[in-house]
Amino acid sequence: MEALEATPLKKVIVSLAALGVLIGGLLTWHYTQAPNNTRIVVVYVSEDQVFSEPILRDFEKETGIEVTAVYDTEEAKSTGAMNRLIAEKDNPQADVYWANEPIRAEVLKQKGISAPYVSPLAQDIPPVFKDPDGYWTGFSARARVLVVNKGLTERPGSILAYTDPHWKGRSVIANPLFGTTTAEIAALFTIWGNDQASDFMAAIKANRVAISTSNGESADFVAAGQYDFSLVDSDDAVNRMRQGKPVTMVYPDQAENGIGSFIVPNAVVLIKGGPHPRAARSLIDYLLSRETERKLAFADCAQIPLHPGVRTPSELKPISAIKIMRVDYADVARKMVELQPFLKAWMGL
Amino acid sequence: MARRACLGLTVILLFMIGTLPILSMLMKSVVVDGHLSLASYGGLLVSSHQWILMGHSMILSSLVTALTTAIGVPLGILLGKTDLPFRRFFRVLFVVPLLIPPYIIAVSWLDLLGSEGLLAQLLGTAVIRATAPMLFGLPGCVIVLFSVFLPIPMLLTMVFLRTINPRLEEAGRLVSGWRGVMQEITIPLILPGVLLSAMLVFLLSFGEFSVPNFLRYDVFPVESFTQFSAFYNFKAATAAAVPLAAITMVLLLVEGVFLRDRTYQLRPSPGLDGQALIGLGARRRGLLLLVAIIGLVVVFVPVVVLVIQSAGLTAYVEALSRAGDSLLRSLIYAVIGASLLTVLGFFTGYLIQTKAFRFWRSVDSMTIFLFALPSTVIGIGLITLWNTPWTNFIYSTPWIIIFGYLAKYTALTSRISVTQFAQIPPSMEEAAQIAGARWFRRMVFIVAPLARRGLLAGWLVGYIFSLRDTGITMLVYPAGHETLPIRIFTLMANGSPELIAALCMVMIAATLLPPGVLWMVSDMRKKAVIG
Repeated sequence: MEALEATPLKKVIVSLAALGVLIGGLLTWHYTQAPNNTRIVVVYVSEDQVFSEPILRDFEKETGIEVTAVYDTEEAKSTGAMNRLIAEKDNPQADVYWANEPIRAEVLKQKGISAPYVSPLAQDIPPVFKDPDGYWTGFSARARVLVVNKGLTERPGSILAYTDPHWKGRSVIANPLFGTTTAEIAALFTIWGNDQASDFMAAIKANRVAISTSNGESADFVAAGQYDFSLVDSDDAVNRMRQGKPVTMVYPDQAENGIGSFIVPNAVVLIKGGPHPRAARSLIDYLLSRETERKLAFADCAQIPLHPGVRTPSELKPISAIKIMRVDYADVARKMVELQPFLKAWMGL
Repeated sequence: MARRACLGLTVILLFMIGTLPILSMLMKSVVVDGHLSLASYGGLLVSSHQWILMGHSMILSSLVTALTTAIGVPLGILLGKTDLPFRRFFRVLFVVPLLIPPYIIAVSWLDLLGSEGLLAQLLGTAVIRATAPMLFGLPGCVIVLFSVFLPIPMLLTMVFLRTINPRLEEAGRLVSGWRGVMQEITIPLILPGVLLSAMLVFLLSFGEFSVPNFLRYDVFPVESFTQFSAFYNFKAATAAAVPLAAITMVLLLVEGVFLRDRTYQLRPSPGLDGQALIGLGARRRGLLLLVAIIGLVVVFVPVVVLVIQSAGLTAYVEALSRAGDSLLRSLIYAVIGASLLTVLGFFTGYLIQTKAFRFWRSVDSMTIFLFALPSTVIGIGLITLWNTPWTNFIYSTPWIIIFGYLAKYTALTSRISVTQFAQIPPSMEEAAQIAGARWFRRMVFIVAPLARRGLLAGWLVGYIFSLRDTGITMLVYPAGHETLPIRIFTLMANGSPELIAALCMVMIAATLLPPGVLWMVSDMRKKAVIG
């Protein structure tokens, strides 16, 4: 009796288990076959997904190449994707890395994770924004600017305002352990030298600068009138201006003898040993095109095109009209690693 | 033979998926250039920053534990032991935050109290200066985690109240009023449940990553994640996780000494039907108002804020167009994860309940230990172990996400199974054995059907936790396989608040879908039986 009742149920259980194994096996086979597919490209992205995803979708539409992506989160301070690239060095999963600044691209080059590729579409991008050996190419940049509360009668015009007693306790800066603030401080160390830059950092601390968690928060503080100015990325400033907040944007140190504004281009990198090299080159060409730069200029991220002659929105100056800080991004990358203990100590950690 | 083989396979699977990645990570953290070195751990004791982080973690967990216990236990007594009006409604209401991912509650509070929040829009920017400091840092984390974990002491108090033999209380009532009975009989009897809930809340708060990270409060899990993500330092990330592991171990030892045997006997008392309720008398209205206010603040406000913020079809259309694929993936992975967790939890629970191997206690501790470890640690461990060309069939496929779920959440389904098995008389299985039924047959036809409620509860819990996971998935998901919580996190960077709120509402709907369906089916069956 028991055997009679049991048999159908047993069959069902065995069938379900077999079906499960079959589906699992097929899915695994499907996913592991993906590397052999030339119509796929895998990209790790540090640029905000809100801005990067539409560009990647347009690439899919125009080329028919499917893009699969890993996006960084704000919480990973935009370095999670790069970490995965480092962790996967011996077993690369990605073909392309879209960095939101060139320092990480330099770190990848120094760690032997990237491969050279000189895109024909990047010929007229200024050499200062490209790796001379082709390991990364810059496009669509942010400038480091001062966001200033509109209610002020007098406006700071230099980053040295941070050390000016006139602005004591009235300025804010994002945590220098992360992001573009770290990069800019490292850039200052490369152009001023260790002594002058250390003195500058000590002076801004003595001038009671406030520390925020991000450039966005700094811009919000200035917009709310809690502080008078802050060094932020141009997209943070433009974003608040477009929202109608009482702030304006000042490109710092534009005088003839000024050091200029630190420029932070996006950077695209070909990954060494990536599974889809041909599709990867297609994507890199697409990202470096004038059309992509135009789209990113008019998106909410308001990035400055590096190709000459690409239209920009009214809030932005074209790159040719900005006095830029002349730095070697490779030196900046090396300095950033060196500076970590100094910056931690500066933060009191 | 089949029993040993099946349970042995369960142990091997748990070891491969859960323990081996952690061991592999620990090994790599103590090997520098091929030599043994503790350099990564050197900074642990000497760095004042580590002590500050430890202090932050301890303060946060202690405050959350104290608050949830102080309010959750009386709430559990009110809802489980008194004649409070609408108590069934409140039981359901207060469970809702436990079903919602903690960071969504945090998003909701930010939408209410943040600089761009509803209060700021209604009352002006002056309010921002008062509310923003409240939200970010310790106070915000305590508020959010309190509301998320409040159901734990409440539910455990209610469950332990049901295990008390009513005759004990009736005997007490002959010589004393309810106050004396509660003080001398009821509360001492539910004390293990209170301690268990306090331990669970402490561990969950201690290992919580998403809320302190979102609300910018530096604690150990955030440090571990930052060491990995911002400084790409595997070894430092592992070292930063060691204090967490140590605290977890200490609490497990405490649990082993004081609570373990008690928690396995969570069976309703035989005389339950006759259990008397405490009459609240004149205090009914006042207490009802108090409970309603707590429900309003803890449950109603966060959900309503999200509804208001996401109001309008446009936000939902955009949410589904941007994250429809992620939603589908989340549902599929959560269903697969929950099903595998149920099976693994079933056999692990059986192994523990029957003490099938001499090392059964180690298996139990291992699953709890993995559950209490921060997700980031497990995620890093999985990358360390599985990221090789030979294991690409795991690492570059969604299996790596499923492995993460199994490593982290088996403790939940195994504990639920243990509780369920404790209610099945061993004579049932023994009778089948005497009748000649082999072990696997007994499992399929005797034990599993008798434990079906536990299996279903385990599946639901597995589904909810798999669906809401961020810590592990964020670190290991293969390109093109991001889940909805990850999509919410990545879109938070410069995504519009309306879009994020709509995505959070979609996430809540996806979480509540299976419990809702189950409740409806159960309700229909009840009505059919009555009819």
